[in-house]
Amino acid sequence: MDAQPAEGPRHEIVIEDGDDDVTIAQGKVVESEFASMAVRLDTEGNSVRLRIEDLRTGRVRHLDALELESIVWLGDGHLTQLLDPSHDRWRG
Amino acid sequence: MTAVVPSASEVEEGGSRYDRLIQPARVHGTLYTDPSIFAEELRKIWHRTWVFVGHESEVPQVNDYVRKQLADQDVVMTRDKEGEVHLLINRCAHRGLQVCDDKSGNSSSFRCPYHGWTYRNTGELLGYPYNKGYGGKKQLPLGMGKVARVASYQGFVFGSLAEEGPSLEEHLGAAKGEIDRLVGLAPAGKVSLDAGWLRHKTRSNWKFLAENETDGYHPQFVHGSIFGVTGSPIGELYSDNSTAVTRSLGDGHSENDLRPEFRGFAEPMRWFGTTPDRVPNYVAAMKEAHGEDADRLMIEGAPHVMIFPNLFIAEIQVFNIQPVGVGECVQYSTAVQFDGGHELNMRMVSQSIGSVGPAGMLLADDTEMYERNQRGVAMADPEWLDVRRGLHRESVDENGFTIGTATDETGMRGFWNHYKTLMTAPDEGQDD
Repeated sequence: MDAQPAEGPRHEIVIEDGDDDVTIAQGKVVESEFASMAVRLDTEGNSVRLRIEDLRTGRVRHLDALELESIVWLGDGHLTQLLDPSHDRWRG
Repeated sequence: MTAVVPSASEVEEGGSRYDRLIQPARVHGTLYTDPSIFAEELRKIWHRTWVFVGHESEVPQVNDYVRKQLADQDVVMTRDKEGEVHLLINRCAHRGLQVCDDKSGNSSSFRCPYHGWTYRNTGELLGYPYNKGYGGKKQLPLGMGKVARVASYQGFVFGSLAEEGPSLEEHLGAAKGEIDRLVGLAPAGKVSLDAGWLRHKTRSNWKFLAENETDGYHPQFVHGSIFGVTGSPIGELYSDNSTAVTRSLGDGHSENDLRPEFRGFAEPMRWFGTTPDRVPNYVAAMKEAHGEDADRLMIEGAPHVMIFPNLFIAEIQVFNIQPVGVGECVQYSTAVQFDGGHELNMRMVSQSIGSVGPAGMLLADDTEMYERNQRGVAMADPEWLDVRRGLHRESVDENGFTIGTATDETGMRGFWNHYKTLMTAPDEGQDD
């Protein structure tokens, strides 16, 4: 088949080692050929947050409800700016 | 070959090389084997005319993309946030790297893995790392390449690498009606090509396929096995006793029109090899959608049409033919899916797998012929291929199209006429 169906979210990635299973990423994975992100709801705080993890670097960020709402309402132009590699990560 | 192939100097002295190689009743073997002719075809046909690339249903969601071929060009078909479909050339504007590697995905932007240059799925360069090296952001007038013209008809997406030329609708001409016939069999008025594409590498020149698709002379021989196993009545429609016709639709398009036979039987769904009682939900949906006209549509069935140069609609399945080299091409095939026709769609997938799947009995037989054909034309003598069958008994139908009987080579002759027109057109922008 030429066109592969999207695999969709996957369960957390766990290296099984008997009683000492090691979790290397928590959450389900949103992935394309360009990025690989684990996402899950984090309930450690006093209210629930979204925990997102860049599986290529291990960098983690938590987003609260208001931050998520802000992303939803972010103008397309702003979101596009964030995608510019030199906007933050590779600013130089 | 030792054949008399006109040289470049002869061409200049004696008019078109293609006037010599393409004659009313025969074509020269070198048309299938000469690398210089293939190179010219890329320029004058595949990089110029409208070429079928894919279907809008392959990118149903905003930001979906699939990688496709347009002849030798690796193309990314995308749907942007506005819903518009684009055909991008899969090449980074920085160092020429292939940007997308996956066969399909969903992403609003594409990041080249080499230096991180990032593009919107419209091809626009969105940014690059460490922008001071370029004097800041948005300083470069660059982007991914784009197929110059993109247009679709009934969801079938075509691309033309030429900035100017006939519109897609002008190119399709009478073949539009055949696509409409196919869509007319979908109760919801749309077809999808989302069942997945099979990819068949074929060691043959692409033109053998284009000619064969409406060659009604071969089925009784090449496809005897599948007709025998399935008890299909279709084989009998390709004989000298058949009332079916082969029609040249102009612009290189052609069809085997089996409707005269099906009208004679007047049995809905006979074209599909079944009866209404076995697909009651589909028949009911068609009657709800089309009222009294439903029976006619279900009696006449789906088209069998070859749309120049590379889209073959074979009733229940679609083929996308893409050349690789003078002696190699790829046949991509998929089952047609009728929106609102779930009951029939399941059958079309299984029938398609049975005919063109890995263990299918139809495409494998044809491909054996294509590859033997390619090996045969490499032999020195005779130099020509004969395309005269039925020339003496052709006529013109009520719409002005040339028709022959079910087994006549009328479609091939129409193909070669159009091919010659394209190949003898000026080679714009070339320095040869």
